[in-house]
Amino acid sequence: MQATGATGMSLEEEAKLVYGVVFSLRNLVSKLSAKPGSDGFISYRTSTYKLHYFETPTGLKFVLNTDPHMESMREALRTIYGQIYVEYVVKNPLMRQLTQSGVHPVQNDLFRGNLQRFVRSLPGFE
Amino acid sequence: MATAVLGQDERPLVAEASLDFLVVEMVDLMHRSPTDTEMDKEAAYFKLENLGYQLGMAMVERITKDRPRFLDNLDVVKFICKDFWIALFKKQIDNLKTNHRGVYVLTDNNFRWFSRMSGDGAGAEISRQAFAHLAFPCGLIRGALGNLGVTTVVIGEVSTIPQCTFQIKIAKP
Repeated sequence: MQATGATGMSLEEEAKLVYGVVFSLRNLVSKLSAKPGSDGFISYRTSTYKLHYFETPTGLKFVLNTDPHMESMREALRTIYGQIYVEYVVKNPLMRQLTQSGVHPVQNDLFRGNLQRFVRSLPGFE
Repeated sequence: MATAVLGQDERPLVAEASLDFLVVEMVDLMHRSPTDTEMDKEAAYFKLENLGYQLGMAMVERITKDRPRFLDNLDVVKFICKDFWIALFKKQIDNLKTNHRGVYVLTDNNFRWFSRMSGDGAGAEISRQAFAHLAFPCGLIRGALGNLGVTTVVIGEVSTIPQCTFQIKIAKP
């Protein structure tokens, strides 16, 4: 099932592109940052969208694209990680069987449903 | 999940999540074998059920230590549905049916260890995979009943996640 985003690329290609951008930006930001131990790359904004980035200590990366006028979505991303990803992906007893049969553990109904509901409940969502 | 501050409370506390993770990993571990035959699956089910049996026996010793004697088999089964289930899962069994001839059917509408299960659409597939996770709870029930003096056979069934039923058949004396 290949969904296409607003740009017309397949979701997979878009994901690879975003990963490349985020990786390079993170590197750049940490090298240019004067203070050690600062947050690093958090978000970037263009005239059409704003990209929010959240990385967990375990290396998981969460990317959220919003309207350019949104303020920080850091808390929302943190909630998505702690209350939705951990609850419905990490704690899924069938996770190992899913990965073995080739399905990415993120593609499960409970995770998707709860994520949808949470994002819809965020202020500023239309 | 404890309200106490970690490391500053004298009561011994364990995070509920760690128990959930342990139970999940236990099922996965038992099913890890170089071959994938039916015999392996049955062996894994057998091992998990016996694990549950030992644990159920021990749990029930602990939970009933201040309780008066049980009147009859129905009383024992009601204890399983209420106190035992509350001690394990913080909720009661939702439905108990019996034919008064030694067969009891316990239904849990939101079984705790099934509440996070989901897959990619195919409901029947998930029910099949969930069956392996029923071995341990069946053993728990059988062990609890066994240590209270009731010899039984416990069979678990999963219809739709997160609902499951346990059928208890009491052996004729």
